[in-house]
Amino acid sequence: MTSTTAVNDLVKSEYEHGFTTEIASDTFPPGLDETVVRAISQRKGEPEFMTAWRLKAYRHWLTMTEPNWAAVDYPKIDFQAISYFSAPKRPEDAPKSLDEIDPILLETYQKLGIPLEEQKVLAGIAVDAVFDSVSVATTFRKSLAEVGVIFCSISEAVHDYPDLIQKYLGSVVPYTDNFYAGLNAAVFSDGTFVYVPKGVRCPMELSTYFRINARNTGQFERTLIVAEAGAYVSYLEGCTAPQRDENQLHAAVVELIVLDDAEVKYSTVQNWYPGDAQGKGGIYNFVTKRGDCRGARAKISWTQVETGSAITWKYPSCLLRGEGSVGEFYSVAVTKGRQQADTGTKMIHIGKNTRSTIVSKGISAGEGQQTYRGLVRIGQRAEGARNHTQCDSLLIGDRCTANTVPYIEVRTPTANMEHEATTSKISDDQLFYCRSRGLTEEDAVSMIVNGFCKEVFNELPMEFAVEAQKLLSISLEGAVG
Amino acid sequence: MTDHALMSWLPQLAPAAPAWLATLQAAARAQVQTQIAAPDAEAWRYTSLNHLLEQGFVPIDETITALQPDDLDEVLIPGLASRRVVFVNGRYAPELSATEALPPGVHLDSLRDVLAHDPDAVRVLLTAEPATVPLFMALNLAGLDDGLVLRLDRAAILAQPLELIHLSIGLDQPSVAQPHHLIVLGDGAQATLVERYVSLGAAVYCTNAVIEIQLGRDAVLTHERLQTESQNAFHLSGLSLRQDANSRYQSVNLGLGSRWSRTELLTQFCAAHAECDLRGLYLAGDDQRIDYHLDVNHAVPNCTSRETFKGIIYGKGRAVFDGRVVVAKDAQKSDAAMSNQNLLLSPQAEIDTKPQLEINADDVRCSHGTTVGQIEPEKLFYLRSRGISAALARRMLCLGFADEIIHTLHSETLREHLSEQVGQRLESAPWD
Repeated sequence: MTSTTAVNDLVKSEYEHGFTTEIASDTFPPGLDETVVRAISQRKGEPEFMTAWRLKAYRHWLTMTEPNWAAVDYPKIDFQAISYFSAPKRPEDAPKSLDEIDPILLETYQKLGIPLEEQKVLAGIAVDAVFDSVSVATTFRKSLAEVGVIFCSISEAVHDYPDLIQKYLGSVVPYTDNFYAGLNAAVFSDGTFVYVPKGVRCPMELSTYFRINARNTGQFERTLIVAEAGAYVSYLEGCTAPQRDENQLHAAVVELIVLDDAEVKYSTVQNWYPGDAQGKGGIYNFVTKRGDCRGARAKISWTQVETGSAITWKYPSCLLRGEGSVGEFYSVAVTKGRQQADTGTKMIHIGKNTRSTIVSKGISAGEGQQTYRGLVRIGQRAEGARNHTQCDSLLIGDRCTANTVPYIEVRTPTANMEHEATTSKISDDQLFYCRSRGLTEEDAVSMIVNGFCKEVFNELPMEFAVEAQKLLSISLEGAVG
Repeated sequence: MTDHALMSWLPQLAPAAPAWLATLQAAARAQVQTQIAAPDAEAWRYTSLNHLLEQGFVPIDETITALQPDDLDEVLIPGLASRRVVFVNGRYAPELSATEALPPGVHLDSLRDVLAHDPDAVRVLLTAEPATVPLFMALNLAGLDDGLVLRLDRAAILAQPLELIHLSIGLDQPSVAQPHHLIVLGDGAQATLVERYVSLGAAVYCTNAVIEIQLGRDAVLTHERLQTESQNAFHLSGLSLRQDANSRYQSVNLGLGSRWSRTELLTQFCAAHAECDLRGLYLAGDDQRIDYHLDVNHAVPNCTSRETFKGIIYGKGRAVFDGRVVVAKDAQKSDAAMSNQNLLLSPQAEIDTKPQLEINADDVRCSHGTTVGQIEPEKLFYLRSRGISAALARRMLCLGFADEIIHTLHSETLREHLSEQVGQRLESAPWD
């Protein structure tokens, strides 16, 4: 089969997880003003400090303008046409265990291949599943509580641990940070809070599956993870979404706070609806993710596999303040059809002997447009800082785009910074070699692409690595005859 | 960015200008105004214009004729070239130039002359689109005054290198010269051009030069650009290059002098199998600001480009490297490799580098690599253990680093001269 046909097949491949769950939502009418912000806060029964913070954020947001520097193109978002709150039915009797969960919901998860109960048993993963904007299931909290790990929805945390929330929320990504972070602070609906006390190694991988469901409901998730000195936690985030026509805005904020000798590993598999063949209807994924290595030898590792969304605008970053702290960013991003992704990372070296590694693999097919945009800043006091950056792009088909825009700013002579980038297609030699060993062209491509991404997949927790490889194969299905 | 400071760089339009030129200059002026009103934030991310604007430069309206050929001695490199064209403060100085006995098919004129006698000849040579060029190129076009017009007919060969000297002398009022050169090589023509920027004295002045180059099929141009102006000079230069099929452009850009400088290299392949090799070395020390911008356009298939820039930054020096390679949609089999390596020698030095790739075709080979580092302690130790002083060892290692670029200069004389200049600069560099 010719490569044009192959690309056409790829563009046409349907979104596997496209279906809508019919469940009554308690949704605010579209629109945003101070009343809405107050109402969200009130509905969630938040203490006064939260309401005040949200309002400050909202007022500041009004003075901000939408960023337009990213290499993405989309119709202007009407922020008054979005509904800012949507809770599943009967929020007053939120389920306490799986039995109480709406069976339609459970079925939805099963369709997505996330059998909650089995996962509990088989994979030992605690799942805090977010359906629309309110957490409806939290598992394994008890066993986590035994070691002192707090793993709950951020709304619960606001009630139960207001001191921690006041101390840490917005301390890494303030509401003044950028347009979408400001909006998120004003209207965030829910999210996850993780607190790992001093010296504790979290006994299991923590995971949240996000679902975007109710029509026209923007999702404004807020995640806050605090790792005290010597703590360790691995957090997994994955998502799929039902097929629909309207564009959906997702503006999440993730904050990580890592103290002396602590480590946070944050992994994401993102497979939101990318839109149809004309690029209509996909998710806008405008996310601010930032980790702060506040202590010496702290470590943050971001791993992401981004295959979905119509538009991705995402730069998981590390502030390397503590002496000898380490930041890592491993990314695989796939754009096909009309998907657009402008993604990368920021490594801000502030402390002495800080180290960072960036490995970014971009795969662009069909009419996909992809930009790696990254910043490595090594400040004057970051003596002995090290950075190694590698960004590789793989192009499939002659109508796609791959851009690399690294910003490198170095102000200390003892720093060592290396950056390399390549752009290529799957070589005919490689394909021929595999074919001559009896592999079909599709298997060969899949194998080569998986090899191209291996460095990143190796960083994923095992369950995710398997899922990611599967996702990549599905994404590229029909890429070649 | 204040409006007046830059607009005052422009002289009054010459009333006798032909209509097409007036239109072009008006378009350039409009572009300047647009750029001032809405500056390209990305292009000026790391460089502030304030220092430049504070100087209050005014255009030069006098031709300096007081110079004698002897006055050139201190800037000439003995044994470099037998033919030279000298511009003093942006104006052609025939009395200082030596352009005798040009080979057949080589035409050398001043832009003023051609504009006065045969303006339509210039019309076809000015290819820069005033509405799309960067700010300072537009400013130069809007203030078009003088420059070199070098035309090589089909298959003409200028075997001896031609030296193009920009000599600047400070005037009472800080002034800006904006020469605009047009270099056109016909099919199969070959030439070597050594472009130099030098100062007499240490006054504050500004040069904003533009050089437009068109290479015909199979033409070969070796272009060496040496900027060694005084530490008080402000330097802006823009290159606009267009290459036809199979042509080859090889250039070396050395930025050693001036207090504040910005160089923009815009290249465009117009037909297949052309090659472009841009190399550069910059040395930013003390309070210097050096800024390089590359925009390499692979607009057509099967072309090759190489961008190799190295920098040494010390003292409170600051350098910017912003390289961009764009591969157009159907430019298959494009081959581009960009590399930028920097040595940072002191705690106050800074490098901001941004090597970008924009790829819109799949069958391409494109890569870029960037490094920032210091002198490796092991190498230093090795030399010291051989009884070489620390200062000398550092200088040797820096010169070794710089030599990758310097040794590609066409003449031995030039290589020695530049090595010496870099060595002298490094001798005075503070190491801690």
